[in-house]
Amino acid sequence: MQRLIVEKTKSSPAIDFNPDTNILKVAGESYPENCTRFYLPIFEWIVEYLKGASDVEIILIFDLVYFNSSSSKVLLDIFDLLEEQESYKIIVNWIHDIEDGAMQEYGEEFKEDIKYIEFNIIAK
Amino acid sequence: MLKNSIYSYKEALDKEGIIFTFCGPVSHDIVEGIGITLKNQMQIDEVNTTTTMKVFSIFIEQVQNVIHYSQERCEKSFDFGKGIIVIGNNDGKHFIVGGNKISKSKGAILKSNLNDLVLMDKDELKELYKQKRKQNDNEESKGAGIGFIEMARKSSQPLKYSFEKIDEEYSFFSIEVVI
Repeated sequence: MQRLIVEKTKSSPAIDFNPDTNILKVAGESYPENCTRFYLPIFEWIVEYLKGASDVEIILIFDLVYFNSSSSKVLLDIFDLLEEQESYKIIVNWIHDIEDGAMQEYGEEFKEDIKYIEFNIIAK
Repeated sequence: MLKNSIYSYKEALDKEGIIFTFCGPVSHDIVEGIGITLKNQMQIDEVNTTTTMKVFSIFIEQVQNVIHYSQERCEKSFDFGKGIIVIGNNDGKHFIVGGNKISKSKGAILKSNLNDLVLMDKDELKELYKQKRKQNDNEESKGAGIGFIEMARKSSQPLKYSFEKIDEEYSFFSIEVVI
């Protein structure tokens, strides 16, 4: 499985998914021109990765400054995909700017919609 | 040639407290450019982070709506929509107004949805947002309408919107969010 690295742009986040360390990181801003097109390869990578991963602890780090409403749907789709997996532990670390109350609330709202994943909200 | 003085135009904008306005074809490059400049300007003005991010997020939702849904389009490019975006500050409150041409039939559906949204309180809006986010996309709506719910949630006053008649087929839709 190849490590997935996508450089950040002004409107799309940096992606660094490392199958060796099992740390998947999304950082930056997310309001791409075409949200579906941007996230499709990322989604497909996760599906493939989960097929091969077993008995591991997977850590997802979301360090986002901003995401638009279309991205919000995609993020929930990613969480739903991870929720279907029962054979390994998944931890989401949702990191937000300590001064940005809205980003903290977004994290809390995702957390409310998630049942099985450990979801940590971390201020920085 | 411009019929009136550009200075009187600028003065009129200043009187309304306009920080930024854009009218014309909107592309994704413009969204990024204005968005970043807007954030920088609000930082210079020492606006707090929460307010800055609220204004920025409503700007993005509105301007992306213009790109995706305006009926006035650049013919050769799918992702160009023409419209208008205004960001300003009046009496210490920021406002963001967006407008674009819309067909009568789509306008009627949108109007009915917005009429429902303005009657909801913050908890009802949150539930609707979460419910819509879970639904699968349909072809018509790239963001499943959650962009408008987002606007209603962030607005400190009820959303103000209007549909003004252009001709028998089209209206001009505009929406204002006050942070």
